[in-house]
Amino acid sequence: MNKAIKKYIPAEFLEFNPRLYAFILIIAIAVIAFFIFPVKELNGYIDPFYSPTILVLPFVGLYRLTCYAYRKDYNKHIFKHPLACPVVESMDSKKREYSGETSAIFKIENMHRYFLYAAIIILPFFFYDVYTSLFYTGAFVLRLGSIILAINAVLLTLYVFSCHSLRSLIGGRTDCFSCLNGGTLRKKIYNKQSWLNAHHEELAWISLIFIIFVDLYLRGLAAGMPIDFTFMVIH
Amino acid sequence: MHSDTVKLKIFRKDHGEKSPGRHDEFEVPVTEGMSVLDAVNYVVENIDSTISVRWNCKAAHCGSCAAEINNYPRLMCKTRIDDIGAEITVNPMGAFPHVKDLVTDLSGNFEIDRNIPEFKPKKGIELPWNIKEQDVTRAQEFRKCIECFLCMDVCHVIRNHSSKYIGPRHIIKAAALDMHPLDTVDRSVSLMNDKGLSLCNVTKCCQEVCPEHIKITDNAIIPEKERAIDKMYDPALMLFDKLKAIGKSGSR
Ligand code: SF4
Ligand code: SF4
Repeated sequence: MNKAIKKYIPAEFLEFNPRLYAFILIIAIAVIAFFIFPVKELNGYIDPFYSPTILVLPFVGLYRLTCYAYRKDYNKHIFKHPLACPVVESMDSKKREYSGETSAIFKIENMHRYFLYAAIIILPFFFYDVYTSLFYTGAFVLRLGSIILAINAVLLTLYVFSCHSLRSLIGGRTDCFSCLNGGTLRKKIYNKQSWLNAHHEELAWISLIFIIFVDLYLRGLAAGMPIDFTFMVIH
Repeated sequence: MHSDTVKLKIFRKDHGEKSPGRHDEFEVPVTEGMSVLDAVNYVVENIDSTISVRWNCKAAHCGSCAAEINNYPRLMCKTRIDDIGAEITVNPMGAFPHVKDLVTDLSGNFEIDRNIPEFKPKKGIELPWNIKEQDVTRAQEFRKCIECFLCMDVCHVIRNHSSKYIGPRHIIKAAALDMHPLDTVDRSVSLMNDKGLSLCNVTKCCQEVCPEHIKITDNAIIPEKERAIDKMYDPALMLFDKLKAIGKSGSR
C-alpha cells in the first residue's frame, strides 16, 4: 500500500513541509481571488491574467511550474533538495527519501515543451491587448497603462523565447549544423538564443513579478486610484 | 585579513579507521597570496608530516587537490586564504570512499567512464576528418574538464540518495560524445533510463562549484534530458524524425 502511494505521490509531498503548505496556500488564495474579484477589462486595459481568457491560466501555470528555472528554485527552496550547495547547509540527507523526476507527478516536467507551445500561441494576445488599449476610444491614446502592458508583453516574450526546450528545438538536438540546409544561420540563431537562455532565470522572475504588478496596477485603477496618465492623444 | 596567522583545521582519519574522524588544529603564518593548499603544505612540511594530501600542479589544471573548504567543494590551490577568513576547515570530499586524511578514492569514476558507450564515427567518411568549427564549439566546452570531481561531490543525489545516477562529470562526457558531429550513437535515452539522469533535479550546484566554469546543467544535463524527451515523450518529434529518415533514405 505504502509503495503504491509512493508510486503516485512522491516522498517530497509526504514529508512535513511548511514551505510547501505555504506555497499551496498562496496559490489557492490567488486563484480564489481571481474568480471572486475579477478585473478583466477596464478603460481598454485587459488584465494579462484574463487574456485571452482565464481558462488558459492552467497552461501558463504549468509552463512556469515545469520551467527549468523554477524547477531549480522550488527544488531548492520548497523541497530543500538541497536548500543550498554548501554541504552542511544543504538540509538534504541520506535519511530523506527522494525520487527526483522519476515519480509520476514529477514526470510532468518532461511535458514542458507542450506548455511552451501553448505559451507561444498565447503570446500574441498580450500584444493585441496593447494595441486595444491604445485605440480603445477610436483615436490613438498613449497612457501609462499601455506602456506598462507593452513592457509586460515584451518581458513575457523574452521569458518564453529564452526557454531551454526551445533551445533544444532550435539547435540543442542538432549535432552537425554544417550538414543541414541553412545550418550556419541556424547555428547563429542558436547562439543568440543561448545568450538569452543564459538569462532565463532572471527573465522568469522579472516577468512573473511584473505580471503581478500589472494585475495590481489595474486593480488599483479599478479601485479609483489616480495612477494613470495620458501622454498623447492623436485623433 | 588582519591577523598574521590563520587557524587551519584539517580532517584526520586513518585508512580503514572505524571512528568518524577528527580535526587537528594548526596555526599557520600567512604569506602574501597564500592558498589553502600552501597552508596545508606548510603544516605537512613544518609541523606534521603524517598528513596525507593529494596535489600536483598547484595551478588549477590537474584537479587533484579537490576538498571541502569550510564545507564548500573547492580546489585547495585556487582558494586564497584571504578570501575565506581566519578559521579554515579542510575536509576530504564526502561523496567518495575515504582513504586517509584528505585523500579519497576516486577510482569509481573511471569505472563509470568506461561504461559510457564510446565514440562511433559515421562509416565511410574520408580521412582526414574535416570538421567545421561551428559543429565542435559545444563539445569543446566539456573538454575543459580537469576531472576534479567537485561537481560529483556537491551533487545531492550522489551524496545522499542514489548510486544509480552517474553524476554531472559523466553526463558531460556523454554529452561531449553525443554532440560530436561525426558520432553515430545516441546516449540520451540510456542516460535517462539506466544511468539516473532523471534523478537530477536541475538545482545546478554542480555548475556552481565547477572550477572550469563549465555550464554543466545548462549545456549538458538539460540538453541531454531534452534529447531523451524527444525520443521518449514527444510523439510529434518522433514522427517528424521518422519521416525525415524515410525522406533521406528515399532520396539516396
Ligand atoms: S544539477 Fe543535477 S547533477 Fe548538478 S548537482 Fe544538481 S542534481 Fe546533481
Ligand atoms: S565538470 Fe568541472 S567540477 Fe566536474 S570534474 Fe570537470 S572540472 Fe571538475
